[in-house]
Amino acid sequence: MDEESLTVHLGNRPAVLRRAKANGTKIVGYLPGNYVPEELIYASGAVPVCLIDGPNPRRADNARSVLPHIICPFARTQVEEMSLKENPYYSLLDMVIAPITCQHLKKVAEVWEHYGEVEVFKLGIPHRYDGDFEKDYFLDRLVALKDTLEALTGNRVTDEKISHSIELYNKMRDLFRDISLMRSKVSSIPTAMDFITLNHASFQADPAFMVEFLVHLLDTLKNSPNSSKGSRGPRLLLTGPNLARGDYGILKSVERTRGEIVLEEFCEGIRYYWHRIQNTGDSLSSLASGYLRDKVPCAFMRSSARKRLDFILKLIKDFNVSGVIWYELLCCETYDQESYFFEQKLKEHNIPMLIVESNYDVSSLGQLETRLEAFIEVIEGGPENA
Amino acid sequence: MRDFLTLCGYEADELAAELPRISKAFSKLGINSDDIARGKQRLVAYYDMTLKGVQKLFNFFLRDLVNLTLSREEGKEKLIYGCMAPSFDIIGSMLATNSHDVYVAEPNPVFLVVFGCIFDKIVPILEAAESRWLKGGVVGHCAMVKTRLGLYVLDLIPKPDLLVTSGSLCDASPKTNDLLEEFYGIPTYCYDTSHDGQLQDHPGSARAVNLLTHGIRGLTRKLGEMVGLAISDDMLWEILRVKVVLDTALARLYGIIQGSDPLVITPSHENLFMWVKQLPLDLEGLQRMIAAVNILSDELQERVDHGIGVVEKGAPRILAILPPNHADPRLEYLANEIGLAIVATDVGEASPVPGSATEAPDDPYLAMSLFLQSSLYSHLGERLSLILGACRRLKIDGVLDHYHVGCRSVAGDAFIIRDTVQKELGIPVLLLEWENFDPRVYNHEKYKTRLEVFKSMVKEAR
Repeated sequence: MDEESLTVHLGNRPAVLRRAKANGTKIVGYLPGNYVPEELIYASGAVPVCLIDGPNPRRADNARSVLPHIICPFARTQVEEMSLKENPYYSLLDMVIAPITCQHLKKVAEVWEHYGEVEVFKLGIPHRYDGDFEKDYFLDRLVALKDTLEALTGNRVTDEKISHSIELYNKMRDLFRDISLMRSKVSSIPTAMDFITLNHASFQADPAFMVEFLVHLLDTLKNSPNSSKGSRGPRLLLTGPNLARGDYGILKSVERTRGEIVLEEFCEGIRYYWHRIQNTGDSLSSLASGYLRDKVPCAFMRSSARKRLDFILKLIKDFNVSGVIWYELLCCETYDQESYFFEQKLKEHNIPMLIVESNYDVSSLGQLETRLEAFIEVIEGGPENA
Repeated sequence: MRDFLTLCGYEADELAAELPRISKAFSKLGINSDDIARGKQRLVAYYDMTLKGVQKLFNFFLRDLVNLTLSREEGKEKLIYGCMAPSFDIIGSMLATNSHDVYVAEPNPVFLVVFGCIFDKIVPILEAAESRWLKGGVVGHCAMVKTRLGLYVLDLIPKPDLLVTSGSLCDASPKTNDLLEEFYGIPTYCYDTSHDGQLQDHPGSARAVNLLTHGIRGLTRKLGEMVGLAISDDMLWEILRVKVVLDTALARLYGIIQGSDPLVITPSHENLFMWVKQLPLDLEGLQRMIAAVNILSDELQERVDHGIGVVEKGAPRILAILPPNHADPRLEYLANEIGLAIVATDVGEASPVPGSATEAPDDPYLAMSLFLQSSLYSHLGERLSLILGACRRLKIDGVLDHYHVGCRSVAGDAFIIRDTVQKELGIPVLLLEWENFDPRVYNHEKYKTRLEVFKSMVKEAR
């Protein structure tokens, strides 16, 4: 099983889903953010598809007839994709699960609901995530989601099915973690581009296929003759709110510098793989804990800044990172506020940080590369006014 | 100074007692004679200062500014502030009534009205915030949270012992508080709800209410521990009962304004009506507020009876989406000058009256959650329903949607509100991209042109 097999799998995926749908299988989309338990969708017999596509500046701009520019480009892209239905993953959906995370994605859910383009289940995410009341709230919503999926698919979602599903996705998380951890050593295999595209693939590929592919990939990487190669330059961590499928300008720009992204931490677009969902006892309760509070919170969650900083500092240490690139979408108000906090705090640890804002506009990439080069120079101890 | 303070509702005997405190507070805040001269000018230009009721309403904000500024040095042991925290005013009033060592305030509206609307000095506060984590530019951070941050950056107000907000409307406010805690060591508390109501959950979901009341209960528990007070439901009901009287008085005021033709008062005053009831005054203060509102209502009723108005009779009736700019009266004043009668806003009108006797739940915390049913806090489907209902009820000829870009939640609805209103009611909608707390967005020539065109469209459509 090689890279080509994944490419072929993804290439065939829309047609496979079309056939499955014709045979009665339901296709359930969900917005990213690592707050929607895919396990539940999979356990119901439906096919989970993460709506992670972007950027497409034309799509984002077209959506301005519905949403003003102050809504982030990823959110506007989702609205337009659903309206156009040219993207096969959007045209095949029987239902969408919209986690009520940030204001932007909340607005996407409301717009879809208003235009009736797709059935929407709003999954409330309590933004105070550490209390028992809030966990019970989320659990209650997962029970409602389970009921909705049962009604949609006609299949009972048993504890046993959820448990098998958790086992499969835990395996996927373990594999992503093991692959990612390879980059904590001197080598940079796989590259950031490879790892991120793998992540994006996992949101649309068949999960069982994906696990099998990752097993083989991990084995191949471990035995790769390049696995002991050193980094070519400063080791960088890429972080921010959202890294959509296709939003690779920043990665390509960094590749053209001496720097090397060895790790990425995103709320939306990178599967959270740093923990496992507990798979004993009440499976829905395990999902509620695992998805709401047993992971590092996104920036829109309450009192999350310190917890997120501590996590990033640990990653910086474990992965021997010497600089951070903060990549945020324009108008993302919570992450923009946090960027100041992170910049100040990382400075205390002598870790320089570069803030990059994106509106999915490719014409700004040239300027970005200049900034990146200057940033690399700062990390390498060059001119201070990067 | 005396003329200015008299204009702002201070009686002669009060001035004698209060002038030293006021002078001290103004000095600490950097308010000088130039500011006072400008303030007098702006008050006379943009507000109807011949109305005793208006003077008295401004008086509340001036008093609160002085009290807040001097609170620590005058011996208040605990300072508790709220901002963007619906129903905090109820809890705050309860604390103010039952504990004299505590000072409870909502600094933002006080500074927006006094520094913004009166003195036109809000910009340095906003710029101070922009020098920290609420930068200016396209990202469009809300100037309401900028005001909050700017007050601490410039050290204009004493740091509180607790800063309260809610995530009911946005994530920017709690995030700002999160960072205020990190950078300034200010303890914070946030209560939340979850906006996962489906369309069929109108007028609101029980689970969202439960989540909210859970958070508010947590707040009263925390405050009780902080100030050494056993907070009971009866204490809250005592305030809620008076709030019902206040809301009833305000409803009468709004009724007079909405029913008037010609429009009886400039819409720039809406800012005062909206914010004054948010001030967490003690029982005595709330009674004075009710009296002030009733005085104003009587004055306006007299105008209505004599056919006196601020625009021509038969002027187009306009519903504004969102209140006026909280730091700048110019747009609403301009709309008035052009001859548009902004009779109501969706925030004031398209909402149930919190704590109203007709909806009295048994639980005071449920009473405090009724704001979730208002336009501002509703999901899109509910909001459209409320706005269309208000337009029909008030016989609206056109809608002015100055959507606040700093608020992703309400700004995101703007285009759909326009399309729905036009389709369902056949009336024109003017969209103005706006910042509801920042006077720098005002562009007189641009807005004059657009409002004039809008007026023509509305007249033609009638």
